[in-house]
Amino acid sequence: MKWLLFAWKNVLRNRRRSFMALLITAVGTAAVLTGGGFALFAYESLREVSARDTGHVVLAQRNYFTGDEDAPMQFGLAGAQALAAELRTLPGVRAVVPRVQFSGLISNGDKTAVFIGSGVVPEVDFRLRGGQMNFLAGEAFDAGRSVPEIAIGGELARTMKAKPGTSLTLLATTTEANLNAVDVIVRGIVSVGVPDIDKRLVFADVAAVQKLLLTDKVSTLSVYLKDTGDTAAAAARIGAAHPELALRTWLDLAVFYKAVRALYNRIFGMLGGIMLVIVLFAVSNTLSMAVVERTREIGTLRAIGTMPGEVVGNFVLEGALIGGAGALAGMLIAGAINVALVFSGLQMPPPPGRSGGYPLLVSFSVPLYAATGLAVIAVAAIAAYLVSRNAARKPITEALAHV
Amino acid sequence: MTPAASPAPVVRLTDVSKSYRVGEARVQALRGVSLELGAGELLALTGPSGSGKSTLLNLCGLIDAPDEGRREIAGRTVNGCSEATLTQLRREKVGFIFQGFNLVPVMTVFDNVEYPLLLLGIPAAERQKKVKDILARVGLDGFERRLPDALSGGQRQRVAIARALVKSPALVIADEPTGNLDSATAAQIVDLLRELAHERGAAVAVATHDDRMTSRCDRVLQLRDGALQ
Repeated sequence: MKWLLFAWKNVLRNRRRSFMALLITAVGTAAVLTGGGFALFAYESLREVSARDTGHVVLAQRNYFTGDEDAPMQFGLAGAQALAAELRTLPGVRAVVPRVQFSGLISNGDKTAVFIGSGVVPEVDFRLRGGQMNFLAGEAFDAGRSVPEIAIGGELARTMKAKPGTSLTLLATTTEANLNAVDVIVRGIVSVGVPDIDKRLVFADVAAVQKLLLTDKVSTLSVYLKDTGDTAAAAARIGAAHPELALRTWLDLAVFYKAVRALYNRIFGMLGGIMLVIVLFAVSNTLSMAVVERTREIGTLRAIGTMPGEVVGNFVLEGALIGGAGALAGMLIAGAINVALVFSGLQMPPPPGRSGGYPLLVSFSVPLYAATGLAVIAVAAIAAYLVSRNAARKPITEALAHV
Repeated sequence: MTPAASPAPVVRLTDVSKSYRVGEARVQALRGVSLELGAGELLALTGPSGSGKSTLLNLCGLIDAPDEGRREIAGRTVNGCSEATLTQLRREKVGFIFQGFNLVPVMTVFDNVEYPLLLLGIPAAERQKKVKDILARVGLDGFERRLPDALSGGQRQRVAIARALVKSPALVIADEPTGNLDSATAAQIVDLLRELAHERGAAVAVATHDDRMTSRCDRVLQLRDGALQ
């Protein structure tokens, strides 16, 4: 405690210089925490979006993910209802929803366009997708209507001149390689935030799609968990129980999430590295001046029996104190920025290929704050070590003669 | 007060020589100096500037090494000792008093005097007692919380003496301890140093130009051109 007190008194010896080093350290820390927090927010958001889109665990016929189908639903999953019922009994499972992926032509009588569709259980699927599914007009459709209802992407609706209540026709190839058609009514117009997808997007009731394709199979069974963190354990459990099926987790299928994460890790990792180098220079500069000014004092302390390592240790403590105080101030600044962003309502522009922006928010993470604080303290201590080690080993008579 | 008897001298130098390189030239600072200093003895080293007084003190205080000759400090031959061993010996056995006081400005009077005891790992309660006792002895009772900047030159040198003697060292090295003090204060400081050295049985080696100092010392040696006269 005494040594810490001496170190603190030495830090305060030249307050202006120490304050500048502390300020640079604080700003560097705040930049790392804000940048890192923004990346974490992006990861968390994208993780939820990805998991809500595909489900946490996706089950399919063995060849579904790797093979090329010669006919629709060639690699479809049979007996999906019984399997879904079994999966719903597993602990931690929130819902199990069947999906049928299909494609074909959509027509309003005058104009025809290509669509890519999903057969879903509307009352479950739209609830699970939550805010990811943005209704531009109309609402979620109901299953089991005599004339099936659908939801289509905003761009496709514009092409088809469709609005809620408009009648359209879906044309698709059946499992027997024939063409089949069904008249549908548009109930909702949606956007998933990606214009290229919205241009082709169709959601329909899974039973209506099976009827159109002449099949009782589904493409996949999506298992939604209560906690995304349980994905690996649930996947392992389901995989062990059903080795005959192909299984993917949301992470396996989250191409965009992985690309963003790889990009942000590099960008913000580099930013963090630069900030730590700036902290290193700031503390080095401050303490190297202190070391020169205190050369005679170092000689005196060495003469009365202080080991070189103890002299260095005192400077390292001073560096760590500057680093620690700077890190603490930086954490407070970053915390204030976090709170300000929550109330500011600032929006980020849409990412490439997307139609909508997202709120500019920064996640608070105890591990991030702890790791950054420790890294800043360690860098400041290293800077102090580097600038003091030679002075501590200088011949005592030379140090005492220093003017 | 009589110097305490001691079976072996605290300092024994035998044929010690030391030279320095100054630019291209080599300056012989000490030439075959032999010296013994007993416990409780106050030795004055006099001589003109450049005669080798400070070099001799540095060798006695283990902060410099001779080119030749043998050194024994507190009964131990120190030739060939590592820097860590010499530092440990200084920590335990040697106190220093400098002309410029060399107190740590951010430490209070108490902290400055306590510092050598901290290095020795003495428990807090014992440290407190020793520091209070020595401060009272040097007449600085009540000055514990003051910073050196708030003291006069004489008071600062008293703090330096307290710092040097608080651990009861075998040897005290004092390089021009009255050089920055007025006459009256210098006399008080010399008397104090002499009393404390005798009380605590410490051998004291003092480099000085001050006649009032030499007259109060037990023995006076004169150096000229690096050799004892």
